[in-house]
Amino acid sequence: MTARNPMKDKLAIVGIGATKYSRDAKRTPLDLGLEAARRAILDAGIDKREIDGIVGMEYGYLARNANFLALEEGLGVGEITWAMGGRLGATLLQAANAVFSGACEVALVVQSTFRDPRISSSAGRDAMRMRFAETHNGYMPPRWTRSADVSLRWAHTEEPYAAWAARYMHDYNVPRDVFGMVAVNNRTNAMLNDNAVMRTPITLDDYHNARMIREPLCILDCDLPVDAAEAIVLTTVERARSLKQKPVYIHAASLGLSGSGVERYENGRSWTETAPWVAMKAMWAKSDIKLPDVDIFYAYDGFTTLSVAFTEAAGYCKPGETYDLYKQSWDKAENRLKLNGRVVMMPSGGSLSQGRLGGFNYYTDAVAQLRGQAGKRQVKDAKVALAGIGSFYHDPVAMLLRVD
Amino acid sequence: MTGATISNEDVLAKFPDVPVDYDNIFHYRGLLDRKLMFNRCDRCGHWIYPHRPLCPECWSEEVTPTEVSGKGKVYFFTVSHQGVPVPGETFPFGVIAVELVEQDGLRYLTTIRGCPINEIRCDMPVELDWVDRAGTPAPVFRPVKEATQKQARK
Repeated sequence: MTARNPMKDKLAIVGIGATKYSRDAKRTPLDLGLEAARRAILDAGIDKREIDGIVGMEYGYLARNANFLALEEGLGVGEITWAMGGRLGATLLQAANAVFSGACEVALVVQSTFRDPRISSSAGRDAMRMRFAETHNGYMPPRWTRSADVSLRWAHTEEPYAAWAARYMHDYNVPRDVFGMVAVNNRTNAMLNDNAVMRTPITLDDYHNARMIREPLCILDCDLPVDAAEAIVLTTVERARSLKQKPVYIHAASLGLSGSGVERYENGRSWTETAPWVAMKAMWAKSDIKLPDVDIFYAYDGFTTLSVAFTEAAGYCKPGETYDLYKQSWDKAENRLKLNGRVVMMPSGGSLSQGRLGGFNYYTDAVAQLRGQAGKRQVKDAKVALAGIGSFYHDPVAMLLRVD
Repeated sequence: MTGATISNEDVLAKFPDVPVDYDNIFHYRGLLDRKLMFNRCDRCGHWIYPHRPLCPECWSEEVTPTEVSGKGKVYFFTVSHQGVPVPGETFPFGVIAVELVEQDGLRYLTTIRGCPINEIRCDMPVELDWVDRAGTPAPVFRPVKEATQKQARK
């Protein structure tokens, strides 16, 4: 199946920037977002007044949060003709659509996060964090999640990802190790990333001994709450030609939603009808690049359940066969995956070990890799990166990035 | 105070932290009467969940709140060791999505009773029971007992 793809290779990432990743930066998400944005604009080598499109975080309009209004004002970028709030990997595709349409020429996409009390119980004991969370929309669980009505419990919460893991193990008769191998792989890769928070090596034994959170998922299956921000500058290939960095092209990309049941995650569709499959299928239909051409694979690791889903949705194996694939692809000497003997998965350490930034950090790592600027973790001669980012239920995107 | 005689104000008062609205209030009114209710399409028979007044299959607006049989099986589940507490449950406890016999994919989320957490399995048959949770009747599910299953076969 082929599909229309008029923006194929017409847009280029020309700037990337990140803050330090840490568990306790003692900084606001806005401050972090401003730093990442400044670094990305400097990396692109453009005047800040060239920025005319911004994507910031979604949560409300109150300043102190890295929303597009606060970013625009805080950076002093001037006149903006297109802006939106968004999150996870979908934001880069939304910005690409805006530049391609002419809504703006140079888009700045910022994703900023902090270790918030919804997902980190220790954060709940930090008075400064709690004040921020309580005074900004979206950072505290809605009160009905604590109501007597348990049927409301899976509206945008963690437990359904564990339930999917249980169902996957049941349907395909595989052990927890399939998820554990993702955790070990990503940790091994993080050891080569100076900007990863968790860099102590782990083994599958460590995985099996780790603290259980929501069976069958343990602490090592869950992404790591951090304080961090990332930013990307995106423009047309025409503008990119005269800029200092090697352009990284968006070759093909798609969002994907399917019966998401966002209000009640338990009513989502079956494993192979969920968002990762919809996004990947639509992306491949737009692409001239095929799976064997991919050098690096970023499989979303907000929960390891999703890494397995994206591995299958990308086409590396059939549904239920990831455990076999991972066993065959395990490089014992390097203690990490080399899919089909070659492809590195999540060289940055990802959400599990670098830190939780909704997968936006995969793009910036991919850009560094494709430019040949990834230092110790550089994947040799990498030309094509594939990212599958998002949940079964929301903000899913599949994207192919390439260089000449 | 039963059935349709329960006023909107009473339902709101009984479920203070729940986003009760015009689309779902019939469900909560049903809970107070110990009935597990979902809208069912008058035209095509589809069970509608999440609660909406429109059938997503045939777009009929003629839907009727209807009680389910309370039979089903565990589609998937987790045993939660931490996180958001549930009144009347202590960590670790099982959270199960019950696929109701009425329709494939019609799943209701609740906790399980009468089953050790290490014995919960996908596809295990369960049936509806009621407990009191924060002062209101709340649906839970229990494993279908062997004897009950045998009797049902006779």
